[in-house]
Amino acid sequence: MADKRITIQATRYDPDKDERPRLQSYEIPFSDDSMVVLDALNYIKSEVDGSLSYRWSCRMGICGSCGMMVNGTPKLTCNAFLRDYWPRPVVVEPLNNFPVIRDLVIDMDDFMHKLKAIKPWIIRRQEIPLGAGEHRQTNEQIDDFRQFSQCINCMLCYAACPVYGLNNEFLGPAAIALARRYNLDSRDQGLKQRLPVIADNEGVWECSFVGECSVVCPKGVDPAKAIQQTKLETTMRFVLPYGNRD
Amino acid sequence: MTNEAQAAPREYRWRMPANWWTRNRHYFLYVVREFTVVPIALWLLWLLVEIKRAGDGPARYSPHGSAAFVVFSVITLVFALYHSYTFLSLAGVIIHFKVLDRPLPSRLIVLAQFALWAVASVVVGFVLIWFAR
Amino acid sequence: MELGPRDIISRAMMTEFEEGHGFEGPHGKYLHLDVRHLGEDVIDRKLPFMRELGREFVGIDIVKDPIPVRPVQHYMMGGIDADISGATPMAGLYAAGECANVGLNGANRLGSNSLPECLVFGAAAGRAAAEYASSAKPVTANPVDAILWDEARRVEVAYLEKKGGDERIGAIREEMQHEMDTGAGVFRTKEGLETLVERLGGLRQRFSRIKIEDSSRTFNTELTSAIELDFMLELSQTIALTALARDESRGAHARRDFPERNDEKYLKHSLVFHRDAGKPRLEYRDVRVGNFKPQARTY
Repeated sequence: MADKRITIQATRYDPDKDERPRLQSYEIPFSDDSMVVLDALNYIKSEVDGSLSYRWSCRMGICGSCGMMVNGTPKLTCNAFLRDYWPRPVVVEPLNNFPVIRDLVIDMDDFMHKLKAIKPWIIRRQEIPLGAGEHRQTNEQIDDFRQFSQCINCMLCYAACPVYGLNNEFLGPAAIALARRYNLDSRDQGLKQRLPVIADNEGVWECSFVGECSVVCPKGVDPAKAIQQTKLETTMRFVLPYGNRD
Repeated sequence: MTNEAQAAPREYRWRMPANWWTRNRHYFLYVVREFTVVPIALWLLWLLVEIKRAGDGPARYSPHGSAAFVVFSVITLVFALYHSYTFLSLAGVIIHFKVLDRPLPSRLIVLAQFALWAVASVVVGFVLIWFAR
Repeated sequence: MELGPRDIISRAMMTEFEEGHGFEGPHGKYLHLDVRHLGEDVIDRKLPFMRELGREFVGIDIVKDPIPVRPVQHYMMGGIDADISGATPMAGLYAAGECANVGLNGANRLGSNSLPECLVFGAAAGRAAAEYASSAKPVTANPVDAILWDEARRVEVAYLEKKGGDERIGAIREEMQHEMDTGAGVFRTKEGLETLVERLGGLRQRFSRIKIEDSSRTFNTELTSAIELDFMLELSQTIALTALARDESRGAHARRDFPERNDEKYLKHSLVFHRDAGKPRLEYRDVRVGNFKPQARTY
């Protein structure tokens, strides 16, 4: 165990020097069975090559910042155990479908704009003053949207979505799942404000149901379901008399 | 801030490789599923042609019935069944019904839809056979 | 006991270890936290994230298995001196969240208090800062701009243009963590804190010889970890000095040599000033006691 080693191949890209990204190989000790890909990257950064760049923060699958391609699959690197890959080498690349800023760091601006566009907060027609008390909810009402609220904005679903890869205008899985989360919330009255974005050509109707978003989600969210449900719901609003109510 | 500080760093633009659909089993199945609509569309076009010809009157109408067309029709039927199956299974997952404030299990919705589908097929088959006599 | 504040729980756990109890694990000693009596329904309803963590990261199901636990550093109780609107003694500078000390926590942070820290005091600081910005007179030569460029230049010279060096950032950081855990961890003593102050001085010396391999101006995370380590060393020194000067035990500050709280001498905020390159200056400010008087925690 003490001298077990594993090869990590990580994408390197310095915009000032490199024309295109390339893979660099590091052989490091695989000293502990609980080591994850992020531990390997941290080992490389601290012991081998301080210039390797990547994002990470919480190490417990809640901040959503350490998403990368691990052997071609989008993963949270804090939750990708080396023991599942060893003795094969582990190829770590930046998330697919996004511009690369540097090494394993992608530009997430596009996602941030889309996230903001669906207004992921509770919208009330009439704000009530703080002193008037809280908006109460039963457990059953929470169950209506609970799984969609588990999204941590890690963007793995965008990296898995070939529709987004082919057309960056697509609103994308996480944004629509979060729109659904708020539209299903008994306290929310913002559906009408979100409709122009989610019911657009580049919204739910761009999705052709590959379903890979739901496969790669590390938090058990089912964005593919959210999108198909939204297709049905927006169609019903359009077709049914009085369907266009709030 | 000077212009130098504002100049955006050069980013590497990621592009989908042409063989993206071979990289993952789900992508491959998805592309296969998408392509099965081509024979279905061709078959439906042919059906329109047949209907047009049937409109010219029963005397001059003789439907196309070569062995190759029968094989093509059977393959198209398999594809159409596959699409119907995926559609109905999926619909069961996305449709929400509440009975007495409790969500109806999606399995029940899926089963109900398959039952409806079977009933509709029997009715259509019955009508076709009855009027063809 | 299981629902007691974290400082009391941490001390209880350390006491168990010292008395030879607990289990030996790859990351040190640990105890078992058992929530099995709650049952699957309650756990799924109230502790779903704990169950997920156990399943995903440790390979256990907390419905069926006990959870391995040990005390760790969790939170920075002190911070930038700020009032309840987030204003610091420096006009125009506001702080909120874990970096700020608005006086909400005192010598201990209670569970979930980071929520008011972010939401309540974050909103208050935002409002106060916006108000300040809209009422402040426009200045022709922006002094903040000048400070910004001075700082950018300092970083350039200190890190990016730095040649040579043989100390790894990661190695110093890890040693600092170890020293802080040993000297200023759950239990503290005069000797331990004195050793800590000395060792931190040594680490500060080594920090001046760090090696920076990355000279890129794009997403240079080695540079940010160097800057962070500089700050962490300063903060560690602050913690060690104030803990050494406080001959009492209060909240999470537990001195073995002074186990009692001493309100007469130390019902005070410790303020540390790093104005010059020399030794930091320690001052005290009285705590404003409102409706709730400090009392002994007896449970």
